[in-house]
Amino acid sequence: MSTSNASNSNAPQFDSVTLEILWTRMISAVDEAAKALRRTSFSTLVNESNDFACVLTDAKGQSLAQNTESIPSFIGTLPVTVKHFISEIGLENMVPGDVLVTNTPWIATGHLNDITVARPIFHGGKVVAFAASTAHAPDIGGKVRSVESREVFEEGFHIPIMKLISAGEPDATLFKLLRAAVRTPDQTEGDLWAQLTGLELMERRLVELMDEYDLADLDGFGGEVLGRCEKAMRQAIRALPDGTYPYEFQTDGMDEPFQFKVAVTVAGEDILVDFDGTSLQVDRAINCTMTYTFAMASYALKCALLPDLPNNEGIFRCIKVQAPEGTIVNPKFPVAVGGRMATGHYVPVAIFGALSPVLGERMIAASGSPLWSIIQTGLRSDGKTYANVLFFNGGMGATDGGDGQSTYSWPSNISNVPIELIERNSALFVHHKKLRPDSGGAGEHRGGLGQEVHFEVQSETPIGMIFMAERCKIPAPGFAGGQAGATGEVRIDGDIVDHRRNVVLKDGQTVTLRTPGGGGVGRSEDRDADVRAEDLRAGYCEG
Amino acid sequence: MIGVRHVKRYGLGIDIGGTFTDIVVYDSETRNQFSRKELTTHDDPSRGVMTGIDGLLASGEVAAGEVSRVVHATTLFTNALIERKGAVTGLLTTEGFRDTLEIGRERKYELYDIKIVKPAPLVPRHLRLEVPERLYFDGRVHRALDEDALIKAASELVDLGVVSVALTFLHSYANPVHEQRAAELLREKFPQLSLSASIDVAPEIREYERSSTTACNAYVKPLAERYLSLLAERIGERGIDAPLLMMLSNGGLTNIEEAKRSPVQLLESGPAAGALVAAHFGGEDGGAHILAFDMGGTTAKLSVIDHGQPTVAYSFEAARAKRFIEGSGLPIRISTLELIEIGAGGGSIANTDAIGLLKVGPLSAGSEPGPAAYGRGGELPTVTDADFALGYLDPDFFAGGTMPIDMDAVGRAFAPLCESTGLDQTALAWGIHDVVNENMTNAARVHIAEHGKDPRSYNLLATGGAGPVHAFYVAKKLGLKQLIIPQAAGVASALGLLIAPARVDRVATIAREMEQVDWDQLEGAFTRLEADARSVLDETRLPGHDAEIQRLADIRYVGQASEMVVPLPPGPYTGASRAALTEAFEQSYVAAFTRTPPATAVEIMNVRVTAVLKVPGSAATSQGADGASGEPVKGQRQAYFPEHGKHVTTTVYDRYALQPGQSFAGPAIIEERESTLIVGPGGRFEVAPSGSIIVSIG
Repeated sequence: MSTSNASNSNAPQFDSVTLEILWTRMISAVDEAAKALRRTSFSTLVNESNDFACVLTDAKGQSLAQNTESIPSFIGTLPVTVKHFISEIGLENMVPGDVLVTNTPWIATGHLNDITVARPIFHGGKVVAFAASTAHAPDIGGKVRSVESREVFEEGFHIPIMKLISAGEPDATLFKLLRAAVRTPDQTEGDLWAQLTGLELMERRLVELMDEYDLADLDGFGGEVLGRCEKAMRQAIRALPDGTYPYEFQTDGMDEPFQFKVAVTVAGEDILVDFDGTSLQVDRAINCTMTYTFAMASYALKCALLPDLPNNEGIFRCIKVQAPEGTIVNPKFPVAVGGRMATGHYVPVAIFGALSPVLGERMIAASGSPLWSIIQTGLRSDGKTYANVLFFNGGMGATDGGDGQSTYSWPSNISNVPIELIERNSALFVHHKKLRPDSGGAGEHRGGLGQEVHFEVQSETPIGMIFMAERCKIPAPGFAGGQAGATGEVRIDGDIVDHRRNVVLKDGQTVTLRTPGGGGVGRSEDRDADVRAEDLRAGYCEG
Repeated sequence: MIGVRHVKRYGLGIDIGGTFTDIVVYDSETRNQFSRKELTTHDDPSRGVMTGIDGLLASGEVAAGEVSRVVHATTLFTNALIERKGAVTGLLTTEGFRDTLEIGRERKYELYDIKIVKPAPLVPRHLRLEVPERLYFDGRVHRALDEDALIKAASELVDLGVVSVALTFLHSYANPVHEQRAAELLREKFPQLSLSASIDVAPEIREYERSSTTACNAYVKPLAERYLSLLAERIGERGIDAPLLMMLSNGGLTNIEEAKRSPVQLLESGPAAGALVAAHFGGEDGGAHILAFDMGGTTAKLSVIDHGQPTVAYSFEAARAKRFIEGSGLPIRISTLELIEIGAGGGSIANTDAIGLLKVGPLSAGSEPGPAAYGRGGELPTVTDADFALGYLDPDFFAGGTMPIDMDAVGRAFAPLCESTGLDQTALAWGIHDVVNENMTNAARVHIAEHGKDPRSYNLLATGGAGPVHAFYVAKKLGLKQLIIPQAAGVASALGLLIAPARVDRVATIAREMEQVDWDQLEGAFTRLEADARSVLDETRLPGHDAEIQRLADIRYVGQASEMVVPLPPGPYTGASRAALTEAFEQSYVAAFTRTPPATAVEIMNVRVTAVLKVPGSAATSQGADGASGEPVKGQRQAYFPEHGKHVTTTVYDRYALQPGQSFAGPAIIEERESTLIVGPGGRFEVAPSGSIIVSIG
C-alpha cells in the first residue's frame, strides 16, 4: 500500500501529528489483540477476571504500547522478559514464525502461573519489534500456589526461556509435557493458543502500519515517543522537592510481621526506590521477585506523577528500584514465590506512604489489598481433575477528592467471577456476597468497603482449597487523620482459621471471607453531615 | 409533487432527538415525502410531536385518514438514564445478594486514576431489599419463595416512595418459577407499582449484567408508560387510526404495549433508525458490505452493515461516566444494532498533551460557542476550523451561505498550537484533519476486527455534516475502494423508521454441553420463543403473517466466557441435528479467529429467535436526481491536498446541478447545503441513478 499521507512522502518526520497517529495505531492494534485473546480464551482467569496483558515492544524490548485494559504488574514485567529473550536467545537466532516462551519467576512475572510468550516481528528481513503477552494459566501443576511451598520446584511446571514455536512449528514435546503436568490441560493449552492468536494479530497490524508509513524499523519512532514520555516523567519528578523520603510499615507476614522499609530519593529528574531494611525472604511462597517489585513501584509512581499519559518504556527510564538480594521484595532462586502478589501489592503503599509529604492531593490512603483469591482443586463427577481460581477485592483507599471506592481492584485490576458461573463451574454454593458495613476507615473521606462472601462446599468428593488473604492482622492505614480500614477474616465453619494452611473441605463445610476495607483520609469530625447521613441510610456505616 | 391520493398509504415517522423532533410522512409508492422539523419539547415531548403533526395536517399535504401506520424513535429514555431523571426505583432480589448491583465486576475502567469513581447503581442501597428464596444453578429449587417476606419487602419499598420495582433472583434464567410467582403476587397486591422482572427483560446468565439491565428497565418504565400512552392518545385524537409502532435498538419494530413492558429495548432507537437508513442507501449503490460513518458536530458514529443488515450486538453500555471509556457505564443485555460512538466531530477541539502530541477531541466546542470560525466567541481550534483552513469548507457558502465565517478567528485560535508544535497553519490544519480521521479509522478497525472481518472488503457510506468532508481520507486510511454519499436528507433517520421491518428478538438460557442436550427440550425452547415472538408481531397489526424466523444460539467452547452468536439452520431439531449445529459454530469460529482450539467440548449457552416481518412497500428507493439542472461547476478555490503538499486550485461543483452518469476526477469539492464532499487527487466521482455520489478512491 502506498503512503496516504503527505507528511510521510519524504523521509519519516516524527512531528506531533505523525507520532500521535503511529502511537494510537499501535495502541489500537494491541487492544485488538487483547480482545481476540480474551474471546478465545478458556479460563475464567482471562475471560472473566482479566488476568492477562498484551504489550508491543521495539526490537530492544522497550515497551511501546500496551492494551488499555491491561493489569499493572504485567505491563511492567513483560518488557523485562522480552529483554531476557533477546539476551538469552539472540536476535540473530530468531526467525519469522518463532514464538518464545517462559514462566521463570525471576525474569517473568514473579510466579510460574503466568505464561509469557513473545513473537519477534520481522520487517525487511530483520526483527523490528516483539508482540508479547502474559496470561495467568488456570493451573500450572505443583502445589497450586500454596503458601506452604518452600522452593519453586514445588510450585509447578517450570518453562525456561525457549522456543514454543520454531519457524511456525509448535514444539510438540513441550505441549505434551505441559499437558501432563497440569490439572487443566485443555484450559491451560487453550489459553496459550489464545495468546498466540493475539500475537499474530499484533504482528499483522504492525507490519501493515510500517508499510503504510514506509518505516524500515521503529528506532526513530521509538526514540522519539519514548524520549518524549521520559521527558514528561522527568518534568513531573523535577516538580517534587529533592530529598530522601523514608517510610516504614508492617504487614501480616508469616509467623512474624513483615517489615517494609523504603526510602524514595528524588534527585533532580530521577527517582530511586530503595527497599534496604525490608524483611529477609522466607521459606514460604510469599516472596516477590524484583521484576514484580519494579512493576508495582513504577505503576504507583505513574499513578502519582503522570496518570494521564498512556504508558511506555520512557516512563520507566527515570525510575530505579533496588532492594538487597535475599529480601522479600528481591528473593533469591530457588525460594518459593507463588503468592508474590501478597507481598508485591504492598509496594504501592510504600511508594505513596513515602511520598505523602510532597504529593498533596495526589495521595491515596492504603487500600484493602493485596488482592484476595481462593484456588480450589478436585475431581469432577466425571473423574476429570479441575482447578478454579476466584478473586475477591477489598475497598480502595480514600483520596482527598472523595471516599474510596468499595470492592474495587487496586493496585491490580482483576474482576470477580459471577456467582452464577462460580456455581456452574465448581462445587461451591454461595450463600451471600455483600458489602461489609463499617469496614472502610473513617475519615473526612471514608475508605472503600470490603466484601463478605459466604459459601458452602457441595461436593461428593473433598476439594482442596488454598486462600490468598492479606491484611488479616494489620489493616490498611489511613492518612492525614483518617482511620484504618477493617482487617480481613477467613473463617471455616464459623471459626477464624490460619488461612496460610492448605485445607481439604468436605461436603457441607462453609467458608466466610471478609476482605479488608480501605484507609480513610482526614479527620472523621470533618466529614460532611449529609454524606454521613447517607452512610447511615445506605448502611455503609451502621454507626 | 403530490400524486393521486389513495386511502391509507402514508407512513408517519417521528424521530425525537436531543435538539430536534423530526416528523416525516412518506408514500412508498410514489416516494412523495413531506416533513417538519420542530424543537424537542423536553417537559412534554408529545407536544413537539403534535405541533409537527398538526402542521402537516393543516398544510393539507396529508389527511389524517390517509396514515396507515406511525413509527416512532426517541432518545428520551437514554437521556433519562444519562441525566439520572428516571423513576424512584427499588430492587427485590435473592437474600444475600442485594449488593450485586453495587459491587459490580470490581474492575477499574481506568488504570492510573486514583480518584476513579464507579458508575453509581440506579437503585441506591436502601431501596434494594432481599427476599428469602434460592435456586441451584440448574434451576432446581433450593429454598422456596417466602411470599410473606416478598410482600413485606415490597410494602417497605412503597413506603419509601418507590414507584417502580426491578425483580431479579439468582439463576432465574434457569428456572423462572420464583420470579414469575413473585411478579404475580406483586401485580395483585401492588397494582400501582411498575414492575420489571429479569426473566422478561434479560433472561441471561451473569447476575450483575442481568440485574443492571432489569434496573435500567425499571428506571425508565414509568416514564415510558406515561409518555407512550399519552402520545398514542393524542395521535388518536387527531383522527389517525393507525398502530403506533416503536423502533427498537436492534432496528426492529414493536407495538407500544411491548415497548411499555420493556423500554430498555428502546434506548438506542434513534441511532438504530440512522443505521437503517445507511443500510438502505448503501444497499442501492454500495454492495454487500457497508461501513456507515456519520460524523456530526460532537461525535462520529460507525456501524457495520453486512448483506444489507446492520450487525446486531447483544450487549452494550448505557450512560458511561466517562463518555467514551469502555466499562464506565451500565451494562445492558439487549439486542441492539452495533454502533460505535467516538468523540470526533466538527466541533472537536485540538490540543497537545503532556508530551506535545497533537490530540483531537473528545472535548467539543459544541454548537455554543462552536468552532472559532463561527465567530461566536469560540477561541479554541476545532476540526471545522481546520477544514476551513484547508479550503475544504467555503467561508462564503457555509450552511448554504447562511452563516458568516470569521477566518481571522481561525488564525488566532491556531496560533498557540502552531507555536507549541512548530507546525505552520496549513500543516497544523492537515494534522488536525489527519488525527481525527485516524481516531475514527482506529475505532472502525478494532470494531471490524472484533468480528473477524477484513475492513478492506467494505465500502464507506458517509453522512452527517462533517462526514463527507472527512470520508475520502478515512476510506483511504482503511484501504477501501469506494465511498458513497447519499443525497442529503435532513430527516434521514425519520425516513429509516418507515423502511424498517417489524422485528422481535427472544432469548432463553440453555447452558448445556452439546453432547448433553435434550433435543426435545431444545426444540421446545425454540418453539416457545418463536410462538412468543410471533404473538408480538401479530400485535403490530401489520398485514401478512409470513414472518421470517431465524434461529440462533450463543455457543462457545466449554470454558470460554464469550459466546459467539451463531445463525443456525432451520428447525425442527432432533438428535440428528447435533452435527449441523456444531458445524455452524465451528465455521463462524474459524471465520473470526482463524483456527479452532485443541479438542474441547462445545456448549450452548443461550438460544435466540429473531422474527422479522417486512413492511409492505418498504422496499422503497430514494429519490433520484432527475430534477438536476444547470452548470455543475460553480467555481474554483485553493484547497490543500497532502499528495501535493500544498494548496492547489480545485474545482468546486454544485451537487444540485450534477446529473446521473456525470463523472469527474479529483481533486474536487462538491458542495450542497448541509455538507461538502472532498475528493482527493487520484479519486474520481460519479453520480448514480439513485442520486448518490459514488467516489472511487483510486
